[in-house]
Amino acid sequence: MGQLVVNGLALGSIYALVALGLLLIFNTVQIVNFAQGQLLMLGAFIGISGAVTHELPIALAWLATIVAMALIGVVFMLLVYFPLRGRPAFLVILTTIAMGIVLENLALIIWGPLPVSLPSPVRGPPLRFSGVVISMHQLMIFGTLAVILLLQYLLLTKTRFGILMQATAQDLHTARLVGIPINRTIAVAFALGAVLSGIAGLLVAPLFLAEPTMGGSLGLKGFIVSVIGGFGNLPGAVIGGMLLGLIETFGARYISSDFRDAYAFIVMIAFLTAWPRGLFGEKTSEKV
Amino acid sequence: MTGAPIVSARGVTRRFGGLVALDGVDLDVPSGIVQAIIGPNGSGKTTLLNALSGASHADAGSIRIGGAEIFRLKPHRIARLGLSRTFQNIRIFGDLSVLENVKVAAACHVRSSLFNIVVAGARQQATESDIEERARQALDLVGLAHRADDRARELAYAQQRLLEIARALASEPKVMLLDEPAAGMNTAESMTLLETIGKLKARGITILFVEHNVRLVMGISDRVAVLDFGKKIAEGTPSEVQRNPLVIEAYLGRRHRHA
Amino acid sequence: MTNRIPIVLAAIAALAIPVLTADTYVIQLLNIAMLNAIVVLGLNFATGWTGQINFGQAAFYGLGAYATAIAAKAGLPWIVTPVLSVALVLVASLVLGLPTLRLRTYYLAMTTIGFGEIVRLIIVYWEPVTGGTSGLRTIPGISVFGFGPQGQMQHYYLLLAALALASLVAVRIRRSSLGRAMIATKDSEIAAEQSGVDTTRTKLLAFMIGAVYAGLAGCLYASSIRFVSPDSFSGVQAVLLMTMLIVGGMGSIAGCIIGALALTLLPEALRFLGQWYLVLYGLGVIVVIVLLPGGLASMIAMFPLRRLGAR
Repeated sequence: MGQLVVNGLALGSIYALVALGLLLIFNTVQIVNFAQGQLLMLGAFIGISGAVTHELPIALAWLATIVAMALIGVVFMLLVYFPLRGRPAFLVILTTIAMGIVLENLALIIWGPLPVSLPSPVRGPPLRFSGVVISMHQLMIFGTLAVILLLQYLLLTKTRFGILMQATAQDLHTARLVGIPINRTIAVAFALGAVLSGIAGLLVAPLFLAEPTMGGSLGLKGFIVSVIGGFGNLPGAVIGGMLLGLIETFGARYISSDFRDAYAFIVMIAFLTAWPRGLFGEKTSEKV
Repeated sequence: MTGAPIVSARGVTRRFGGLVALDGVDLDVPSGIVQAIIGPNGSGKTTLLNALSGASHADAGSIRIGGAEIFRLKPHRIARLGLSRTFQNIRIFGDLSVLENVKVAAACHVRSSLFNIVVAGARQQATESDIEERARQALDLVGLAHRADDRARELAYAQQRLLEIARALASEPKVMLLDEPAAGMNTAESMTLLETIGKLKARGITILFVEHNVRLVMGISDRVAVLDFGKKIAEGTPSEVQRNPLVIEAYLGRRHRHA
Repeated sequence: MTNRIPIVLAAIAALAIPVLTADTYVIQLLNIAMLNAIVVLGLNFATGWTGQINFGQAAFYGLGAYATAIAAKAGLPWIVTPVLSVALVLVASLVLGLPTLRLRTYYLAMTTIGFGEIVRLIIVYWEPVTGGTSGLRTIPGISVFGFGPQGQMQHYYLLLAALALASLVAVRIRRSSLGRAMIATKDSEIAAEQSGVDTTRTKLLAFMIGAVYAGLAGCLYASSIRFVSPDSFSGVQAVLLMTMLIVGGMGSIAGCIIGALALTLLPEALRFLGQWYLVLYGLGVIVVIVLLPGGLASMIAMFPLRRLGAR
């Protein structure tokens, strides 16, 4: 049972990472990117290309992936955000979904439909105590999440750029008036959002195999985590992610593993009905 | 102008977090008059209208329209009890035609079952021509009959405001709330508005309106209530209120631009 | 009132097609297109008119199709199957509709996508009943007192009549207080409420009527195509339906039909592109959204056909 907890938390950390990427973009431009899962998938496959196909050392593959994801994030922004500024949210949703379809099928063309594996950047015997096994890779997942949270916190609160991002997020129009280079800020947000998902992909691929269609359910789970934690809330995303990871792992073990994806949705619907603002969300009131 | 007040509010209170927007407001509006509600910015005028119309419920208090308690009722129920309103920021139905906009409200007291709609028999046709009749009458009153088939969002600003009034009229209200109906209008347009309000009053509709333009208000109202910081500080005829030192202080003390 | 000429022309063209081309492949394609059109007309109520994003329409389509397929294969008389399909989608639409009434935009999109996923998972994993990923084959066709359409051509006319009926009902709803209430709810929920519209009831009705459209289309799908599989009702299908609605102009009845036709025929025409088809489709959707806010129907509206698209 303790094993389930560890596995659940590891899985949950990955979901939290996806959510963090989603939230970074949402907090900056008020767009929910329905292709976030496909970005994760791209990260995994670029990593696989580097480490397996081109046999680069894994650390180099990771680096290459991160750089590539940052570029992809910016391209994404150019294709999706700019042309659709000011249009109703519904159209943006459809556009990001369409982008997801494009990315998924490009991946199918480039890498084929078969699942592939990616080695973990860390090796070594797993930790064992009181009947629970924690693999090195799982430790890496926890560690990465912690590091990213720390970096994100530092970036947003301590650096000048981070504060500019927060300003842009709070009031785009005023930010522009005040002279903040919002286009650059938005570009960075998209780049970082893509990188976060890419890293999640690099972390998930050694756990389960990577295949081009993996983006859909992972992206949705990232969204669900954001809902649980309340949109706009980073600690909420982490806790939400852990919660979802645990629920899914326990559910798969005790109820049915075929329906693992369904648990996430059921949880989300339950949350949306009972706590529309998420566990830690902010109040939004409709102005009359 | 006799008999029980048609609008009767007691102790209406509304808080937004720490801010008290309405603080135990009492208001009685006799039937058939034009009642103005004025006050400096942020005094709670629109909040009061929202509470009366159900758009944003009050936290406490009692509100009666024509004797029926409406506290915390959903807005469409309040509409069916005979209260309609216009909005500070125009909220017409942009995708519908001008006539259709008014028809939405004209259908207020009509219930068309889905079966009747699909079958589209004689009964449905009768219902629809009823609705159309009422809608056209309302458009006639505000002078927009000639634009009936145009898309609502194509109307000029002042005409959109008149459309909102036509729509509010079509639900056959006993009480009509107007939220800053003259905002953004020039003098000629305001005159048309005044005439329209006069026509509404002539039909026996009680008008409750919020306005910033105090001069405009004084010209047409039978009674005026003044709010400041969520409390009613004065009430009476326009001339009484104008001379009330509390009112003068409320406006001057804030260096309010429109006084 | 409305300009009748284009409708008459379209009707004549539609009736003439099977005479002009006896190619069964094309006819079957058109049959699927007409079924899709009915589903999109259904989607229009909730999404086009009432403004409620609904990515679950494909799921209702699938529920209707599977209900009919399972019942027909179980030996029930065909006449019962549409009733079963409608009953099932009504229940499902309440299950999805009631909790989501208060949700907006992203949450609504997500929940309806989630609903679609759950339905798909049930279909895929409940193998003994639904045939899993292989689907169900050799579904008995329409049979009322021993009579039923034989061959694609006869199904064509049946489905054409069904589409005409669906369109007629949609027009009648649009011209009634319910239709106006739906659009009013989308344009300004508060103003609609203050004008006496019960927006909650309106949203729910729009949702349920749309589901019934999809459910009945699903029933007809199972009975005329005679084969159902989860792929035809998946998430990509949901996006496709939404795209048909948008391409058609989001709210115009004629647009729904045009959009469904265009986006059912196009994939077939571009089939030679293989895997690249979906990539181009995705990019195409983005281009359409960016460039054509009013959809194909707005282009057509530039001609005196304006009134046809009972917007």
